Amino acid sequence: MNIRAYRTAFAVHARQVSRYRGAALGGMVTQAFFGVMLVALYEALAGEGDLLRETATYVWLQQIFFRAFFSTGGEIYEQIMSGSVCYSLLRPVDLHLWCVCREMAAKIVGVTMRLLPMILIQFVLPESWRMLPPDSPVAFVRFALSLLTGFLVIAQVNMITAAVTMRTLDNKGFSGLINLVMMILAGNIVPLTLAPERLQAVLRWQPFAQMLDAPIRMWLHAGPAGEWALSFGVQLAWLAGLTVFSRCLWGRGIRRIELQGG
Amino acid sequence: MRYVMHAMRMNLRRAAQYRSSFRMQIAAQIVMTFGDLWAILLLAERFGGMAHWSLYEVMFFFGAMQIAFAVTEMINRGFGHISSLIRMGDLDTMLTRPRGIAAQVILSELDPRRIGSVAVGLTALTVATLKTGLRWTLPDVLLLLWGMTGTVALMMGLFMIEAVVCLFSVQSVEIVNVFTYGGRQTCQYPLDLYPDWLRTTFTYVIPIGLCLQFPVCHILGKPLAGAETGGWVWLGPAAGFVFLGLCSLAWRLGLRHYRSTGS
Repeated sequence: MNIRAYRTAFAVHARQVSRYRGAALGGMVTQAFFGVMLVALYEALAGEGDLLRETATYVWLQQIFFRAFFSTGGEIYEQIMSGSVCYSLLRPVDLHLWCVCREMAAKIVGVTMRLLPMILIQFVLPESWRMLPPDSPVAFVRFALSLLTGFLVIAQVNMITAAVTMRTLDNKGFSGLINLVMMILAGNIVPLTLAPERLQAVLRWQPFAQMLDAPIRMWLHAGPAGEWALSFGVQLAWLAGLTVFSRCLWGRGIRRIELQGG
Repeated sequence: MRYVMHAMRMNLRRAAQYRSSFRMQIAAQIVMTFGDLWAILLLAERFGGMAHWSLYEVMFFFGAMQIAFAVTEMINRGFGHISSLIRMGDLDTMLTRPRGIAAQVILSELDPRRIGSVAVGLTALTVATLKTGLRWTLPDVLLLLWGMTGTVALMMGLFMIEAVVCLFSVQSVEIVNVFTYGGRQTCQYPLDLYPDWLRTTFTYVIPIGLCLQFPVCHILGKPLAGAETGGWVWLGPAAGFVFLGLCSLAWRLGLRHYRSTGS
């Protein structure tokens, strides 16, 4: 397997995404507004105190990494629907891995572009609305590792969506649905940490919580190593499971694909 | 009018062509709206209501806002998609036709899928009515409908402003989404939960408060942010139409300066 091809796919797409500064700015304003609005709401509900600070941190981290949820510009969907995916199929690469590289490039670059301004906003906000720094340096390292894994989990779900598109040739229905389910179960609509205890026992371990919820919990609480290992292990396990599933779907989709157009 | 009916029929038929996708998208709408409702349930459970509002009272605000917004999107998808109309040159085609531009843009894409959100909104209103034991009177119903109508007008105005920005920048401008989607998100909760500046903005500048929240408060018989409601709330929703009027002026002005993307 030629690593260089995938590295190039990553680098080229990273550069492409970094061109869209206007989109990044627009997205940032929207995310900042939603962040402020949600934190204001939680302040009204929770009052000042640790709970508010932790919830605010959760909200801000969700908003900062929001871009990572979405597939990169829907390009592979367009290719599948227009039929030009056949050119991609001719490339002497593993198309699945190739696309994952592009997805990761879009996520990492997209998030990085929004990162600094979103952090700077924190200094303008009233103290009780700001996000907390990581619990400890160890917590930060765990968070970073877990976040990267989370991005990979999202990329696999994006790939599953693309595989379904190959079958149905319509990207709006299924991908819209899965994106919404993702927003809700990943804790973007409402922090999963606010759910009742019994519900959390279920929510924490479902695949969508492995995207951003698991890393954010590591940021908030350093916790004993055993607890962390369990949480990270579950993340890796879901990643492995989803990768196998999406490769399987993808492989079958490619074999059966009916090209559109002449 | 014949033209309007024709456009509506065409739009419905187009949507029905892709049946499984259509069903999927309605499901997606239901999931989305239900996700917001779930957030309210979760928060009310966690914090024992929402400040001085009970869960079911909040559900009135939620239901009314969701329905109004969904109806807006149902009839106003065209303005939401203005950037693609401009880029594909469709707007130029419209300019050559002897019909109102705004009407053409609106009718270019009607979106029946939003019915999913309306359904969830209605469910929320029904559950809230049953749980609070609210007795609807005819004036109440009329007031709510009038409030929602005003909100629809207001939201159409916001989408129009978004379109004006697009006329100049050609790109779709996400920033304006702050007011449309952000407005929906903010105003599905009673506005007095928010700090003053945010509340004032959404009460008077973008008057969703006047259009929808004061009427809802009047029906519930509760004050909003200390302001007692009274007969004057009937005037509130008119603000939505004033807002729409101002926005359509801006739209007309923008159109005069519009330069095609050419091709």
